[in-house]
Amino acid sequence: MRRSLGLNILLAIAGIFLLVLVVLPFWWVFSSSFKLPQEIISRTPTFFPHSFTVQHYAGLLTRSAYATYVVNSLIVAIASTLITLLLAVPAAYAFFRLEFPGRQALYRIILLAYAFPSIVILIPLFGMFAKLGIIDTLPALIGVNVAFALPFSIWMLRSFLASVPREIEEAAVIDGAPPTVILRRIMIPLIAPGIASVAIFAFISSWTEYVFASVLIISDAKRTVPVGFSGIIGQYQIDWGLLLAGAGLAVLPVIILFAFVGRWFVSGLTEGAVK
Amino acid sequence: MRNPTLLAFVFVAPAMSVLLLILGWPLVSAIILSLQDVRSVGSPGAWIGLDNYAKLLADPSLWRATGMSIAWVAANAVLQTALAMIAALVLSQNFPGVRIARTWIILTWIVPTVVVVIIWRWLFSTSGGMINPLIVQSGLSARPIGFFSTPWMAFATLVFINSWRWFPFVTLMLLAGMTRIPGDLYEAARIDGASAWKRFSRITWPLLKPTLGVLSVVGTLLSFNVFDIIWLMTAGGPAGGTRTLPVLIYETAFKGYRLSEAATMSVIATVLLLTFALLTVRSLDRQEERE
Repeated sequence: MRRSLGLNILLAIAGIFLLVLVVLPFWWVFSSSFKLPQEIISRTPTFFPHSFTVQHYAGLLTRSAYATYVVNSLIVAIASTLITLLLAVPAAYAFFRLEFPGRQALYRIILLAYAFPSIVILIPLFGMFAKLGIIDTLPALIGVNVAFALPFSIWMLRSFLASVPREIEEAAVIDGAPPTVILRRIMIPLIAPGIASVAIFAFISSWTEYVFASVLIISDAKRTVPVGFSGIIGQYQIDWGLLLAGAGLAVLPVIILFAFVGRWFVSGLTEGAVK
Repeated sequence: MRNPTLLAFVFVAPAMSVLLLILGWPLVSAIILSLQDVRSVGSPGAWIGLDNYAKLLADPSLWRATGMSIAWVAANAVLQTALAMIAALVLSQNFPGVRIARTWIILTWIVPTVVVVIIWRWLFSTSGGMINPLIVQSGLSARPIGFFSTPWMAFATLVFINSWRWFPFVTLMLLAGMTRIPGDLYEAARIDGASAWKRFSRITWPLLKPTLGVLSVVGTLLSFNVFDIIWLMTAGGPAGGTRTLPVLIYETAFKGYRLSEAATMSVIATVLLLTFALLTVRSLDRQEERE
């Protein structure tokens, strides 16, 4: 399909607009995190750093508990991702490939769960966890993150499961394979991209979660990056270098993860939406 | 385990029990809490029936926050849809690098909100920052603009920041909808000599309506729930100019130590949201039947 010149110019303008909108803020933050303090607050902003220093990163890692926050966040995010997969894959398989009474009703309830304002849950959950004595523990956070990731994860797996031809499954059933074996040997390898999408979704939503982590975690040594980092914002007399370095470090794991599997995630998200 | 029905239940049960325990039970507790008078966590409360509801429904601050939430949802819907439509139209074209762009457009959505807050607090800062020096240098304004200084400015700035974070999500949904539109339609329109604008307004837009309908429900629920960006950026201020319902609920529960009142507000909010969602879904269904 060929486009006219006018359309091409329009496309280029819109493309540059998007590039500026999405990438430029990140570039400014990232490049400025290596600038000397006086250049950061300079009245004439520089596009490329004129100075170079890693003092903000060094300061962040030595003067604050940032490294601890990162470790906590990684523990919570990785555990939440694994548990979400462990629960979502069999559940999605049962919902979209097996027959059982109440299937439709249960699936609707799951979708409804996604729609509830999370702030509604926050208050009673705090009381419940306090009674159980698991306030200020990482497992409490993991539980919450899993519960919030599950509905969307099950929904996302739907289109991937639907794309596996029934014949493959039926052949295995005729050969006498039980559903557990079919799930493990046939379905899981075939829907690997879907599983990757769910894993990224669960990891990112847990890595970025702020509200519950801010209420359920009390001691500084157990804080995750979003909460610990927001503590640093208030703690210091606005030290932009430190904050920009912290922002850089908080984005890094997500960018690395995304560089490897981002394509699967985006296709998983869009394919799920079509069905 | 040869019984398929039993096995299906075994597969579903673990996920369902987590949801019941962590989402279902607290929801029931919220309703119980709203009928009691509990102030801080763990303290016992007397049953007071619907007193909390009567008190709060007569409280102007609840209605002010509800109005703020409606404005917030509407403003975000408009800006996000506009940005996402531009992005989806660009990304549905073929040009070098489009595959990379389709993946990385999501960048703003996958970073922690606290990072979003740092980025924009700094870019919009009145001392240093990036936007204000550019504005002053180019002569658009003699003095730096206080993007968070008045209630109205803070609200508009927050809508922009939140839409910046969420529009890629909407973009991907629109792109998914666009791939469902048959290519022959555009081919036929081209042969008939239809302009690019005609092709958009007569083919793309009408055929995207189902997608936009679904998005209006999902987007409303997602926007309504936004709390962390507002809290970290302005904490509901200045002068309550950004105090949406979730912010008011959080303040009431964890700053004012009036748990039962906060629970009551969240039950009211849930009823409002569910009513909206059900009405919209029903009218969408009816529209589909008519077409």
